[in-house]
Amino acid sequence: MKTRVILSMVFVALGAIIAAVPQNTTLPYKLTALQMLEASIDRVHYYSPEEVADIIVQKDPEYQLIDLRSQDEFEKFSLPNAINIPLNAILNEEYVDILNQDIKRNILFSNGSLDATKAWMIMTQLGWENNYVMEGGLNYWAEVIMNPIPPAQTSPDEEIARYLFRKAASSALSTGATTDTSASTAPLAKPPIIKRPMKKRVEGGC
Amino acid sequence: MAPLVPYEIITPNTNLLFAFIIGIGFGAVLEGSGFSSSRKLAGVFYGYDTVVLKVFFTGAITAMLGLLFMSLFGWINLNLVYINPTYLTSAILGGIIMGLGFIMGGFCPGTSFCAASIGKIDAMVFIVGLFLGVVLFTEGYPLWKSVYMANFLGYPKLSTALGLSDGVLALLVILAAIGMFFVGEWAEKKFPQEEY
Repeated sequence: MKTRVILSMVFVALGAIIAAVPQNTTLPYKLTALQMLEASIDRVHYYSPEEVADIIVQKDPEYQLIDLRSQDEFEKFSLPNAINIPLNAILNEEYVDILNQDIKRNILFSNGSLDATKAWMIMTQLGWENNYVMEGGLNYWAEVIMNPIPPAQTSPDEEIARYLFRKAASSALSTGATTDTSASTAPLAKPPIIKRPMKKRVEGGC
Repeated sequence: MAPLVPYEIITPNTNLLFAFIIGIGFGAVLEGSGFSSSRKLAGVFYGYDTVVLKVFFTGAITAMLGLLFMSLFGWINLNLVYINPTYLTSAILGGIIMGLGFIMGGFCPGTSFCAASIGKIDAMVFIVGLFLGVVLFTEGYPLWKSVYMANFLGYPKLSTALGLSDGVLALLVILAAIGMFFVGEWAEKKFPQEEY
């Protein structure tokens, strides 16, 4: 048999295989287990509620807040200007431009810090940068920002200063001193999202 | 793992070194396939020699299968592989200009350098024309910018436009390529031309 006929048959056979197998849509992980462990241990990916409160009060355009809870919970209460991306949707095509970009810093939060940390781990593994976690989530937020407990008179100065900051942040955010999240303000309009095209390789041609 | 540059496995500068080495290989294959002869290249338009069609389609289906299998094995993330943006007006106008230049000059840009490197004078003249075209285009850019950027369609893929999976489209392209190879061989017998 002629070589070209054999080659043609090889090509058709390979084509048939690739047509028959399901497309690989999994995204390869970027970090090794050790790198991931190191990234998890150093706590630089955490933002404390005080820092987040400061960002909200300053209206810092460098940051955007990502609410990972379900849409129902989001509609009842969320932080001002937060964007709702439920945890199960973080890999959806429509949110990639928000979560995988190098313009803004995303601060993820959920009720506790567990869901936010899960999302952070997945996105960090995929090599998506600029994602951070609000420490303690909304529960801790409600505890320390919305309902700060006055420290004892004998507390060190830093403790009292922190309490005063929390109280100031609480009144600046004007959500009142309440832990009843369902009674709080509705989320404000979503901020504009800066679209970024996929990372590109150098162009080539014939 | 791949693509190597977006995953920062190699730097863009190392990428240029890779491009240089692969480019030399590409040139060697072009020369080996006889692409430095403008008569052979023009043959595809007249039917007496369809080696251009055969070499480029073989290259295309090999690369296509390679990428799809590497994606299947998880070696490459196809989402990060560069896809040419489609500006429809430019694509049509550019295709006409490129086609006319190809049939008149007897070379495409890559093959002209290939032929110039083995001392073909017509290829050197072609390269001078190529640079004149580059200068004209860049210097006159404000004049044709609106046409150049018209009808931007994003980064479409044939498979998504047709609603097929990449694999099924690949099989269809392979079948079409093999069909064209047979038509090409038939044309070579039908319009034979000795001594070129």
